[in-house]
Amino acid sequence: MTAAIQVNQISFGYGPQKPVLRRIDFAVEPGTFLAVAGPNGAGKSTLIQIMAGILKPQSGGVVLEGRNLNSYGVREQAQRIALVRQEFVPAFGFSVIETVLMARTPYYGQWGFESQEDRDLVAKALELTDTARFASRALGSLSSGERQRVFIARALAQNTPILLLDEPTSFLDLKYQAGIYDLLKSIQADMAVTVIAVTHDINLASQYCDEALLLYPLPEDSSGSTDGSGPGRPAQFRIGRTAEIFAPEEIQRAFGVHVFSGRVGTERFILPLGARAKDANPPTLRT
Amino acid sequence: MAKWWLLAAATTLWMAGGYALVRSPAPERVAGPRSSARARIVSLAPNLTEILFALGLEANVVGVTQHSDYPPAAQNKPKVGTFWQPSIEAVIATRPDLVVTEAFEQQRDLARRLQRIGYRSLVVEVETIDSLFRAIATIGDATGVSLQANALCANMKMEIARVRARPRPRRAPKVLWVVQREPLRVAGRDTFINEMIELAGGENAIGPTLHVYPAIGAEQVIAAKADVIIEPAMLPGTVDQQHRQALSYWSRFENVPAVTAGRIYVIDGDVVSRLSPRLPEGIRTIARCLRPSEFRE
Amino acid sequence: MQPLTPRILLFRTVVATVLLLAIMLACALVGPQDISLKAAVSGPRDGATPGLDYEILMRVRIPRVLLAAMVGAALASSGVIFQALLRNPLADPYILGISSGAGLGAILAVIGGLSWTLWGRSPIAVFAFLGALGTVWLVWGIGRITGKYQVTGLLLAGVVVNAFFSAMIMFLVSIAKGQQLYATIFWLMGNMAEEDLFVLWVGGGSILAGLVALFFLGPQLNIISVGHQDARSIGVPVERVELAAFAISAFITAVAVSLSGLIGFVGLIVPHAVRLLLGPDHRQLLPLSGLAGAMFLVVADTIARMVVAPAQLPVGVVTAMIGGPFFLFLLIRHSRKVYWPT
Repeated sequence: MTAAIQVNQISFGYGPQKPVLRRIDFAVEPGTFLAVAGPNGAGKSTLIQIMAGILKPQSGGVVLEGRNLNSYGVREQAQRIALVRQEFVPAFGFSVIETVLMARTPYYGQWGFESQEDRDLVAKALELTDTARFASRALGSLSSGERQRVFIARALAQNTPILLLDEPTSFLDLKYQAGIYDLLKSIQADMAVTVIAVTHDINLASQYCDEALLLYPLPEDSSGSTDGSGPGRPAQFRIGRTAEIFAPEEIQRAFGVHVFSGRVGTERFILPLGARAKDANPPTLRT
Repeated sequence: MAKWWLLAAATTLWMAGGYALVRSPAPERVAGPRSSARARIVSLAPNLTEILFALGLEANVVGVTQHSDYPPAAQNKPKVGTFWQPSIEAVIATRPDLVVTEAFEQQRDLARRLQRIGYRSLVVEVETIDSLFRAIATIGDATGVSLQANALCANMKMEIARVRARPRPRRAPKVLWVVQREPLRVAGRDTFINEMIELAGGENAIGPTLHVYPAIGAEQVIAAKADVIIEPAMLPGTVDQQHRQALSYWSRFENVPAVTAGRIYVIDGDVVSRLSPRLPEGIRTIARCLRPSEFRE
Repeated sequence: MQPLTPRILLFRTVVATVLLLAIMLACALVGPQDISLKAAVSGPRDGATPGLDYEILMRVRIPRVLLAAMVGAALASSGVIFQALLRNPLADPYILGISSGAGLGAILAVIGGLSWTLWGRSPIAVFAFLGALGTVWLVWGIGRITGKYQVTGLLLAGVVVNAFFSAMIMFLVSIAKGQQLYATIFWLMGNMAEEDLFVLWVGGGSILAGLVALFFLGPQLNIISVGHQDARSIGVPVERVELAAFAISAFITAVAVSLSGLIGFVGLIVPHAVRLLLGPDHRQLLPLSGLAGAMFLVVADTIARMVVAPAQLPVGVVTAMIGGPFFLFLLIRHSRKVYWPT
């Protein structure tokens, strides 16, 4: 089966002295829910932006459904990939339904209006994200969590096979965090969408995602060039099932912090414990 | 695709319309009588009004601007707006056969607009003394009173020559012509005022400058070493009051010859602020300031 | 608020157009001279010379009202575009240097003492037009070098160019002779004069073409005004659309400025007023702001003509004095609908 999206030996830096990604290489099968995790500065957002075509890698490339990402026109690409960034309040007061309708802009008719098909897609997206009840309200009048759901609805209305999200649950409370991940899981299951989400929350990722990509930050003494890597150098990333990637030793190594790990059911949970935490220095590392 | 056809059709129609408009002839107005005694004339500047009256065309003038105050009879004529903002509707309402305007952009533009609507307009430049005489001749030709125009010019030149013929000292007194006191602005060499000063036998205390009415500082005042300071009165009827204020203002410049000699004059502004048939009178007024003993009349 | 449908848009556009035509006719009948519609309509008298009412109405008033309408439409629509592109509710058509460029062109023409005309338009108008377009091109170029069309780059370039040209204007003003100076300043403050039909045809045609073209960019402008990245990931060719919108708006603003000098406030508040009343959808905002701007300027011009008759106020003064308080009133009434980014 062709991978939905494939990242080939991507290297990227924000300048000659600031390499961020080094020879990242992995493939995502269609219908997978992949979590992208790692410490700050590891390059998670950068990677997502490269996969969405916003940034261009210095070497390597992204292959989308068998074709090079560069070869896609703006509109073609928008039919395959939808991107959700962090929510914000736009300067002009569009309502929820107007915002979600904008996703259908490339498909509008000659005089600039949507068709019935567009309206149906939007209605379905609103329903899936449980935002239909404030369809007429202005975006600025909603809470953060509700707004985030609207932006996800807009991405859904694009009707794409791949959904990329950059930290969809930052600044959201527990209820909304679970809500968003429930939503993403149902999107993956019911609409057969490939979901790739950058996340800080390893525990939620363990519960919901199939696979995980763990990015390590590049060490300080990296040479200037971003694609030099001899056999001695460790890879900057690991990818696999969440259970093996989110193993406590790996997390400790990647994030540089002591963790306490336990089992919920089929999955583990991981809790970072600093030196002054109440339960610091637990007797054994239970796995 | 329908969009592009619509666009092509609209563009063609538009260009065709434009072409038709360009080709259409300018509106024909039945030309009013050119030199008949019944020609209706509108003047858009006070000095032009004075010229028309001086040419004996008082009966023909049917519209003037707000401050046309000389001769006094002009004040009774219908007003068509101000010098800076004539009202084109008021002008049209007088049904003029000829509209006389000055040559600077604002009035020239108005003349153009009137022409476009179909009214005859005459633009005359009155910036220098020479251009004043030419303007009088032009107006005379346009209104059929060339004889009177020539006579008027000849009279004016004769009056001016009489002033110049008076005996004058070897060194022309230096004149500082102050148009505004705060901030201090004077008339430079590139003005008709300068011409009048020279004809009256004086010399501008200020050398050539970039600005036509330069603002000058105290240093330049002292360096200019003016023998005479002349200020045209800002408003009519305030000559004495302005003279008192001038004396107290200039008293601080102790090193200026005009101040030590007490030769600070405030004169009636009207006669010297516009180029008109009263030019000889203006020159004589200036000459009186320069050589008071000569002109005790 | 319901999303826009073609039927709602058509209805509102028709109502606004009818309203505009009524206002234009009413204002054409108002002026320093009293004229009556009946006398004017009975047409030319005695074959040779047309009646006074007819002449004033047809040769002076109606061309002027038409001019006010097209300039108002151009400025208001242009304001909509600049606010959308710069994602800034305080933008107006002059923000990127058009005003100082036009002013510089105008004063150069006056001081240069040129007296030739192009199709009967004075050299001030032509030079103002060239100055406006040249400045926009300059600002775009600077913005491109510094910020790849990013909003901040353009705004900064506009501020710099505005400042520099304003300084040059001040210098030139200081050496101008009195009459030249007066002429320039009055031109800069906005003036409406009756133009001949050909000028109205060309000017009106270009502005109308620009407005229609901008209308078709409406949907894309909606998403662009939310965010560039959002627009790109939805599949809108952001750079192309922005370049087109920018170029067309700059062009119609330059035409408007060359026709009637710098008239402020129209491009700033009319888009806001329409947005407050009818919502931010650009498919509606563009045509309706155009119509509202036309109405506003026709009324403002009529007031400018009447209030100190027989002299007239510069139109820019009237637009500022009406526009400010009116906008404040709208803002207070609809404050619930305004969300400022926190």
